[in-house]
Formats: sequence, structure tokens, C-alpha cells
Amino acid sequence: MKATKSIFILVNLIFMLFMFLTACGTTPEDTDTAERGADEEVDEPTGDPQYGGTIVLGTSGEPVIFNALYHQDSASADVTDLIFAGLTYTDESLEVQPHIAKDNAEISDDGLEWTFELQEGVLFHDGEELTAHDVVFTYNIFLHEDYTGPRAGSFTSLESVEAVDDYTVKFTLREPDARFHTLTGYSILPEHILGDVPIGDLEDYNEFNIENPIGAGPFKFENWDPGQSLSLVAHEDYFEGRPYLDGVTFRFASDSNALVLLLETGDIDHMIAPTSELVAIETYEHVNLSSTLALRYDYIGWNLQNPLFEDVRVRQALTHAIDRQEITETVLEGQAEVAHAPVSPLSWAYNEDVARFDYDPDRALELLSEAGWEPGEDGILEKDGEKFSFTILSNDGNTTRRDIGIIVQQYLGQIGIEVKPEQMEWGAFLDKINPPNYDFDAIVLAWGLALDPDPSAIWHSKEIENGLNNISYRNDRIDEISDINTTIIDQDERAELLGEAWAILAEEQPYTFLYYPNQFVALNRDVQGFTHHPRVDMYKVNEWWLNR
Amino acid sequence: MTTYIIRRLIMMIPILIGISILSFAIMYAAPGKPTVLNLDPDISVEDRERQMERLGLNDPAHIQYLRWMGNVLQGDLGNSFTRKQPVTQLIMDRLPNTIILMVVSTFLAVIIAIPFGVLSATRQYSKLDYGVTFTSFIGLATPNFWLGLMLIMVFSVQLGWTPVGGVSTLGSEFNLLDRIHHIILPAFVLATADMAGLTRYTRSSMLEVINQDYIRTARAKGFRERTVVYKHGLRNGLIPIITIFGLMLPTFIGGSVVVETLFSWPGIGKLFIDATFERDYPVIMAITMFAAVLTVIGNLIADILYAIMDPRIEY
Repeated sequence: MKATKSIFILVNLIFMLFMFLTACGTTPEDTDTAERGADEEVDEPTGDPQYGGTIVLGTSGEPVIFNALYHQDSASADVTDLIFAGLTYTDESLEVQPHIAKDNAEISDDGLEWTFELQEGVLFHDGEELTAHDVVFTYNIFLHEDYTGPRAGSFTSLESVEAVDDYTVKFTLREPDARFHTLTGYSILPEHILGDVPIGDLEDYNEFNIENPIGAGPFKFENWDPGQSLSLVAHEDYFEGRPYLDGVTFRFASDSNALVLLLETGDIDHMIAPTSELVAIETYEHVNLSSTLALRYDYIGWNLQNPLFEDVRVRQALTHAIDRQEITETVLEGQAEVAHAPVSPLSWAYNEDVARFDYDPDRALELLSEAGWEPGEDGILEKDGEKFSFTILSNDGNTTRRDIGIIVQQYLGQIGIEVKPEQMEWGAFLDKINPPNYDFDAIVLAWGLALDPDPSAIWHSKEIENGLNNISYRNDRIDEISDINTTIIDQDERAELLGEAWAILAEEQPYTFLYYPNQFVALNRDVQGFTHHPRVDMYKVNEWWLNR
Repeated sequence: MTTYIIRRLIMMIPILIGISILSFAIMYAAPGKPTVLNLDPDISVEDRERQMERLGLNDPAHIQYLRWMGNVLQGDLGNSFTRKQPVTQLIMDRLPNTIILMVVSTFLAVIIAIPFGVLSATRQYSKLDYGVTFTSFIGLATPNFWLGLMLIMVFSVQLGWTPVGGVSTLGSEFNLLDRIHHIILPAFVLATADMAGLTRYTRSSMLEVINQDYIRTARAKGFRERTVVYKHGLRNGLIPIITIFGLMLPTFIGGSVVVETLFSWPGIGKLFIDATFERDYPVIMAITMFAAVLTVIGNLIADILYAIMDPRIEY
């Protein structure tokens, strides 16, 4: 009897603990602050910029290597963007602007010779001056046959690079290449340090790449404590003027949950905020949220090797049957725009004038019936005794894609198409959907877009066998446009041609283009001078300052 | 005894080779390839192919295994695919953190579990016994990650008593108090499951011993109850615990995967889980083998301690 009583008390205690814990999760003022937080966005800078202070950036990815010629991950890019400087950079409206170069490239009439004048007095962190010879040294690494990094493919059109004098550098191309603009921003490496290292050994030259990278960027590498933090300090002689901040520290955490906690406790001042965490972040008094359209689009890809999706009318019907506006409003809480073509509205090559397949289930049924699909006895569409039934696959851990799968199941279920949403671990998922397996019916996925809008990598039919065209899309005109668009240097002319490609792809619906999402940065209120770039996380950090 | 230990050490070799073949096979058979993880439209197919070639991923599996084995025999664990650093260095950077966490949590588990187990046995069916039993079952049934999250919510976020994660305060010099401050939550979480198990084992083992004839004899001789329980009882009662303890050693690696991720603790558990998602073969193999060696050695230590605790056991 006594025993049962004490157990009873214990159970009660535990129950109370639960109540307490759940109470901590949601506080009543959640909704108010949420709205306030969203309106304010980034504050106007208060007063003049002031020098001093160190900012802590929270990140879940740990960098690998501080050498832009070899890294493939965004965590490394974030660090190298601060340590190094390039000839040009891409501004927040995605225009290429001169950086170390005095002006944008002077391009010869045949489009083959690109000449840059360099600013004088640009200093590396060790005090040596950056000259045209360092630029030549850096770009020659890409051209070297022993180069082991992942970027050689980008430079196939570059024939040679030479220093005309100490402050003039000339690139000579084999054929006109409009993409070359976006390739002129690579970090310039110091020849006086790396000149003697054989190119084949450069990737593993950790004395520079990991332990002591030297660049001409606004911040100097100081210390890296693997798994914990990485600190950079201001480069006093930075050619655009000393950064306001004394230093920048990256703090590594395991995942976005941990980062949000660190943000809440004030341990970090900055993080890239995932959409799923916005509700929590909006409640923090000391944090501002900044948002901008991301340079990417999310889509449902239809495997064109599957007879179900062969008919263009069927694909159009599928898009008609899915209310994408509703998806952006519910799953993404309004933080996205519906997409109609594989190009971002941020791009100069964007074409607004493309076919749109808005939500219209009746039209969807009409199109399906034209294509020979009629409801069977159980209400599911049939054609030649075959049922319209397929699996929609995405990667697990991504709740947005999971929810989209379920919503698509409901929408298509309403017009008599049977959909089974499934999720898989990321690595296994990629293996399954990519060549040589192509083992999927439909996928929910996204493309983070390159700065240059060239459609070749994703849409050219030569990319089916071993590239990124894993849905096996084939269209002769798209192949043609992919082949010739990069040879057109004039941007307006090129935009017109690309516009035709987007119109074809929008009409053919090899993907159901879902939406262009917003991306968010959570910033401590004390951080001023922040500019939100759609693609670069560490953008103009030398202009940030702390109001503390 | 020495010959026994030598014999056991020699026997470890085929066991470890077997484990390495098995883990390599399983790892290789798992879907997903290392560099394919980069779906970057900026990186051309040729560049990706070249990377595969460079990492030796185009060779047949048995060649890859033999090359790995050959390097390991020469003391080279290879270079990480994604992190571009020697695996040995990656592990050495993080191993101390994991070991500290393991030691502290083991210590916590032992100093809490054994006394409570003994008390619960000597006062069988008392309120205390029921309390301890009940708490142990809760401890066994509570998932690590849940408990960890709750403790972070309460102690770090709501009360602000402990840091949210990490090993030490950013940028500070080594400071023992600061370290303890950071380790207390993760060590406690890692210790709970084992603590609960250990308490239960200690209790049942002690119960068995306490009813033995020699305990009654000791009592009859007029020894104090403390002497009877701790000197005559506990020493015999601990023998089975030691086996369990030796077998617990490798489970810390498994537990640390969860706890280190939760608390952003830069140890090899975190490294292991990252490597698994990145299909970073050399790192996966190195840590798997490390856990294997730990298991085999844990067993051996348990057997040796057995002999020390109980002189009747001979090998």
C-alpha cells in the first residue's frame, strides 16, 4: 500500500515536469512578437558606423579547405570569401562588378580577349602586393593538366592568361564565352607563397590550404579549432579600408536546432535561418530577420523514361491539378512565389512571358482524357488496362518536401491518380535517382542556380547519360540553344534566346515548377550594415558594424 | 596469466580482420557514392569523374579494400574524401573530447549507480528500493536525444545555468571550471541509460550474494553490517558487474553519436555521423575499426579484472 502511494507521487511529479516542459515550449505572446518581428526586417543603421567588436556567426557545416580552387561546400566558401579577394564580385542584384580590378573587363570585338586593369596597392595579409602575376598564377592552375580540383570543366574555353604589365592581365579565349563573366571572381592566390608548390600537390598542401591561408580579403585567418570554432581578424591594410569589425568568429553547431538555441541565448549573432525555424526565431526580441528571394527553384521532376509521363498533355494536366499557390501559402507560409519556368526572377535572363498551368482540375481531367486516361471502376484513371499510379520520392529529414509529397497525393487523388509519397536518406536517394539507375517515377527537389543562366547542365540531352538531366528530357531546340547561347556575348541578345528556352520548358513541363522560395538570415539587432545577397552568405562583411 | 593475455591478443587479429571485411562490405553495399553527393550544376561530369578516379573509387571493391588494408598495416588510415585531411589527424583532433566525455560519464554512472544498487538490494522492498527501481526503468526507457533536448531546454535556455553546447567558452583559455560547466549535461545524458542498467544489475547481483551462507557466517561472527555488505558482499557482487562494464565500453561510442550531435560536442561520434552521411569511406572505416578494437579490448579487460576480483578464477 505504501509502495503504491509513493509510486503514485512519483508519477505525479513526472507528470508535472511534463506540464512544465511543454509550457516552456510555447508562450502566449508568441503571435504578437511574430508579427512585429516580420514587419521590422533590418533596422535602419542608427548613427555612424563604428569600429570594433567581434561578431559570432553560427553555422552547422564545418569548412573543409580554405582554397576556392578546391572547395565544393558552402561552409568553406563562406570562409574563403572573407579571406580572399577576386578580380570581380557579383553584387546583390547579381551583376558582375569590379573588385580588385579597376573596372569590368574590356572585351575585344571578337569576344576572345578580356583585359582587366588592376588597382594598385592591393596587399596580401603578409604585406606583399597583389599584382597581375598573382592573377596569372591563379588562373593557370585551372589550366594545368595536373590540376586536381573540381573546376577544370568551367575553364575549357580559356586558352591562356598573361600579364601585360604588373597591373594589367589579359585572358585569351578559344571561342567567345558569355559565361566567362562569372568566372572572373575567383580568389587570387599569392604566387610568392605557392609558386614553388607542384600543381599536382596543391590540393593537399595543408600548410596553406588549412593551416595558414593568405589572401587579400578583408579578414585574416587566425585560428581553427576543429569542431568548435574558427576565428578571423580584420586585415588592417585591406584595399577598400579596414573592416569595421575587429574580427569574425564562426561557431560550429551540429544542426539548425542547436543553432537556434545558440541564437536564443545570444551566443551567436548571425545564422542562415531555415524556414522551419522562423516561427521560433520571430519570437526573439534581440533578433532581426532579413529575407530575400533565393536564387533557386523547387520542382517536381517527372521521369520521362516512365511511359506514364511521356505525353506532354499528361504533364500539363498534372501541373493543372496541383494548387501551387496553396502549397506556397500553407507549407511555406507565404514565403515563396509560384514558379513557371526553370529560371529565377532574379536573373537578367528571366522571361515572364511563358505558359502558365494554374490550378484547374477540370482542365486537368480534359487533358488526361485527350491523352486517353479515363476513370476505371474504382475511380482511378486507366488507359489500356494500366492504372495511373506512381511514387513521389524525396529525401528524408526535409519536412517541406515530405509535406509537398502528401499534398500532391491529395490533389492528384482528387482527379483519380494514385500517388504514394516516400522518403529516403539523401545519399541513397541521389544514388537511386541519378544515372545509371534513373529508378524513380517522380521526385520533389530543388536547384540552387548558378550565376550564369546557361541551361546546358540540366537540360541538354547529352547530360542524360551521365549528367544532371536525370529525368531524361530531350528536345532538339533546347540542345541547340544550350550549345549556342554561351557564344553570344551581348546580354540582351542572349536573354532573348534563353527566353525562348524557358518558354519551351514551361510549355513542355518536364518538371512541375513549384516555387521560388525566400531565404532568411537571422541577425542580432546590434549588427548593422548588413546587405542580404541572394547567393553569397558572407557578402561585404567589411561593411558590417556593431552598435554595442 | 601473461600467456593467456598474449594468446588473447593474438586471437584479436583474425577477429579484427573479419570485422574490417564485414564493415567494408556493408559500407560499400550501402547505396550512395561519395562525390555524387555534390549535385552542383557548376561542376562538370568530367571533373566529377576525375575525382572518382583520384579517390580510387572506380576500382573494384576488393581492390579498394586491399589497398585500404595495405595502408592501414603501414600505419596510414588514408585521407578523408570530403575533408581533405589525414584521417589520423581528424580522429586525433576529436578523440580527446570523446574520451573525456566517456570517462566523466562512466564515472558519473558508477558513483551513482553502484551505491543505489547496493542500497536498493540491502533494503529490498523498501520505499527507497521502489523509488530506485522506478527511476531506473524511466532512465532505461528515456531516449537519450529526448532527455538531452529537455535538459537543454530547461537548464540552458530557460534557466541559463549551463551552455547550450560546445566544449568550452569561445576564445577562452583553458579553465577547469568552464570545462566542467560544459561537460556536465552531456555527460549526465550519456550516463543515464548505463546508470539505470548498472543499478539494476548491481541490485540483482547483490541480492544473490546477500543470501549466501558466507554472508550469514560473517554476520554471525558479529561484523558490523557495513563491513558485511561492503567488504564481503560487494566484492563478490561486483564480479558480474565488471563483465557488463567491460562490454559497456564500446556502447559509449554509439551513445556518443547521439549525445555529441545534440550538444555540438566535437568528438568522434559527431565525426562518424557526418562521415556516414557524406559516405566518407576512410573515416567510416577508421572509426568502425576503433569501436571494434574497443569492444575486443573491453572484453579482454573484463576477463582480466575477473581474475583480479576473484582469485579462484584461473586461466
